[in-house]
Amino acid sequence: MMFPNLFSPLKIGTTEVKNRISFQPHLTNLAISNLPSERQMYYWGERAKGGAGLVITEELTVHPTDMAYEKLIDVYHAEVIPGFKKITDYVHQYDSKIFAQLNHNGQQGDGSLSRLPIWAPSPIPDVLFREIPKAMEPEDIEEVARYFAKSAIHVREGGFDGVEIQFGHSSLARQFLSPLTNFRSDEYGGSLENRMRAPLKFISAVRKAVGNDFTLGIRMCADEMIPGGLDLAQVQEICALFEASGLIDFMDLSIATFYNLYLVEGSMHSPLGYTIPLAAGIREKIKLPVFCTGRINDPVMAEKVLAAGQADMIGMCRALICDPFLPKKAQEGRVDDIRYCIACNQGCIGRIGMNKSLGCVQNPAVGREKEWGEGTLEKASVKKNVTIVGGGPAGMWAAKMAGRRGHTVTLIDRNEALGGQVITAMKGVGRDEFGVIIRNEKSQVEKAGVTVKLGVEASKEQLLAEKPDVLIVATGSVPKKHPVGGADGPAIFNVVQVLNGEAELGERVCLIDYDGHQRATATAEFIANQGKKVDMITSSLFICAELGPTQDLYSSRQRLLQKGVTFTPDIAVMEVGGEAGAKTVKGFNVYSNVWFDWGPYDSLVLVMGQQVDDDLYMSLKGTVPELYRIGDCVSPRKVDMAIWEGHKLGREI
Amino acid sequence: MPNNKHTILVLLRETNDPRPPARVTARGAAISERGLRRMPNPADLAALEEALCLKDSLGAAVTVLAVGPVRLDDSLRLAFSMGADRAIRFWDHGMEGGDAMADAKVLARIITIIAPSFLFTGNSLTDRGDDPVPALAAAATSMPCIGAAVSILPGNNSVEVQRKSDRGARQVVGATLPCTVLFEEVRTPRYPSIDAITASLSANIEKWDLSHLGLPFWEIGSAGAYLAAADFGVPRPDPTRVVTPDPSLPAFERILSLLSGGIKARSGKLNQLSADDTANALLDIFREEGLTAGEAP
Repeated sequence: MMFPNLFSPLKIGTTEVKNRISFQPHLTNLAISNLPSERQMYYWGERAKGGAGLVITEELTVHPTDMAYEKLIDVYHAEVIPGFKKITDYVHQYDSKIFAQLNHNGQQGDGSLSRLPIWAPSPIPDVLFREIPKAMEPEDIEEVARYFAKSAIHVREGGFDGVEIQFGHSSLARQFLSPLTNFRSDEYGGSLENRMRAPLKFISAVRKAVGNDFTLGIRMCADEMIPGGLDLAQVQEICALFEASGLIDFMDLSIATFYNLYLVEGSMHSPLGYTIPLAAGIREKIKLPVFCTGRINDPVMAEKVLAAGQADMIGMCRALICDPFLPKKAQEGRVDDIRYCIACNQGCIGRIGMNKSLGCVQNPAVGREKEWGEGTLEKASVKKNVTIVGGGPAGMWAAKMAGRRGHTVTLIDRNEALGGQVITAMKGVGRDEFGVIIRNEKSQVEKAGVTVKLGVEASKEQLLAEKPDVLIVATGSVPKKHPVGGADGPAIFNVVQVLNGEAELGERVCLIDYDGHQRATATAEFIANQGKKVDMITSSLFICAELGPTQDLYSSRQRLLQKGVTFTPDIAVMEVGGEAGAKTVKGFNVYSNVWFDWGPYDSLVLVMGQQVDDDLYMSLKGTVPELYRIGDCVSPRKVDMAIWEGHKLGREI
Repeated sequence: MPNNKHTILVLLRETNDPRPPARVTARGAAISERGLRRMPNPADLAALEEALCLKDSLGAAVTVLAVGPVRLDDSLRLAFSMGADRAIRFWDHGMEGGDAMADAKVLARIITIIAPSFLFTGNSLTDRGDDPVPALAAAATSMPCIGAAVSILPGNNSVEVQRKSDRGARQVVGATLPCTVLFEEVRTPRYPSIDAITASLSANIEKWDLSHLGLPFWEIGSAGAYLAAADFGVPRPDPTRVVTPDPSLPAFERILSLLSGGIKARSGKLNQLSADDTANALLDIFREEGLTAGEAP
């Protein structure tokens, strides 16, 4: 076996887990009316089917004062039990175990959804939600402990194998533990002993409610990573004390808080396995099984962490959102077939942050497992000849799905390699992992029996001569020109030219950013890395305006500033002038209407977004029985929609 | 005064270097051979050294014995190069699956055949701790057995051995010969000369199997064992040390250390200068780095 440690069983409390892979808790936004839903059953069940030894549900809220997110499950209502039973039965049929996570978010929420004041140890607002909480009175603490216990009983009645209490990055318990949020002068604040009093109350109430023959653990924040907050040394001490209480069976870990959310859910700008040192640090001090989570997206790395004794259980979250069958494929030695998560954070964290249902750029089936999950693909009743023009993500997905259904598929691309615009996008700084999208799909396209023709410029005549039954146009998009005067000619370049090395840039570069996403920032950094001076101008409130939801804002801004890039927000650029080597930029502040001039610059880079490349589609209209267009050549969007449309069409034709 | 009548049998056992991580085989019933470093047990080599010292001072004959597969020849050649007179390697596949009782029968039989004045070996193994086999074999052949020995003073038909006792005290015990002595790792094994190592490569190692002992096969291995292996696992390994963020650093630095994977940025300098200028440039760098103070001489 390739991964003997990863697929060895582990006893956690009274629960025997068949392997070391845990599908970690994360919001799904799939609950309906604050009750468990069928979509959740299929969602968590798909990961059990895929071989995860343990599934931990999303946070379930234990008290009415905690409604940090609209679509949480209110576990303190007994109405949850029937839904829980369906979920746990479904998961158990695949020989996986399932724990429920209980949480009260404390000050890390606001009262606008519940219409109740939020509760916290002290009236300190959270940095993200900014609402001043009510300082909990001792009877409030008792009440929350009672609600934790009540909720735990519902969990046990619902057929779960264990319960995890959230003491991590977003939790009332951590707010009690941390000197940053606990300013109490009573028996719940001050000394470490006092700060641990309320969390210990929560644990012991739950233990009393579920009994000793039920698995109970906590998820600790290993380091708050903020001045004045808990650091690893303090958390090691706290963990040792919780262990000594004898009330808990395992220690799950997270990192950071909402002050630095980009560390909680590190994007592709964070190294793989970036939290391993913290897990190893905790595991040095305690004997309980320790979980490690944080960009471990690959069984090889997981095996190494286990073999080195740095953790006992590998938490995989995004890795299994992206490929629920990673465990099974790893166990069967089919690592080539694993669809690796790239931590783009667009479909999962990005969508959840905007209160949309959970998704995944690379896995359109997330949250739709019943319709699109494993085993739902049916062979086509009529076999057709399908020709797809454009080997980007949309074309590749359409080809893969159609090929799997038994169609005869030909995929044509003018480039020498599959990947389309991804090949350019992955050249941006810190975006190289984006190319893994292509790595993941290339072999699947081949396995689906698709004929791939590269370096072929598809013409209307050629295509029609082949007499395809279905023609799919996925020709993508091209960079848009700047709508204002002078923004053309020498010394003015677009992103594609810069990243493909076709632009001869001078030493002083102005990058005009109408995008706000990685297209602008990764390109600016690409230029700055060549030792050039870059000024960024945008009409948005700030540079990296679109990078908040994916947690790329902080690290992108940090690196750009460290590399001497300047940011000028609020400016609409209206005019570009001057000769090559002395280009000038003229624009006005969109709020004050005051005009400014910038320059001289050696070169300008325009990040204007894209426009469709639909000439081929327009010329083919009305000439073939079935003609479709998908992805950017319908309207230029992001890769998630290209894959979604390719996948959907491949299933339907 | 030389005394050639003593023959000393030294048992050399193999032990696993405790440093590399042990891995359990797929079936979960043994340690995987891959990546494992093996070495002669250090206490056994100390016992061999003790025997060779006796040979040097009293003129005893030293026979080394190893029980195991052909790779143990290396340990025996080492013993030859250090000065042993005779080497025997016993191995029979029938011994697989045996326990201490079964293995002790083999050792007892070899002792009976060779009839040495002494059986020397180490008091414990570095990887497994105490090994009851020599003591059980001594008991089976009615020999006295002295453990935790630190030094030995042999007489004509008796021996005095100083050994470790309670709370760091030393005890001297006496016994008649033949006698088994289990040594602590007190003496440092001698370092053989190149000539001796070369000579050891062609030295004759006697290979014994079950037919040499006259033991029936059901006495040894799993058939002769009192214990049967049911399951095998390594205990929870201690974490391999990785760079954890130093809690005394500010949060900003801790984050950088985590996101850099513990790698600190380094800069390189390239100077292509004459010898004099290179020397001066180096001295400048030393000054900048605070390695030297003041002007270059």
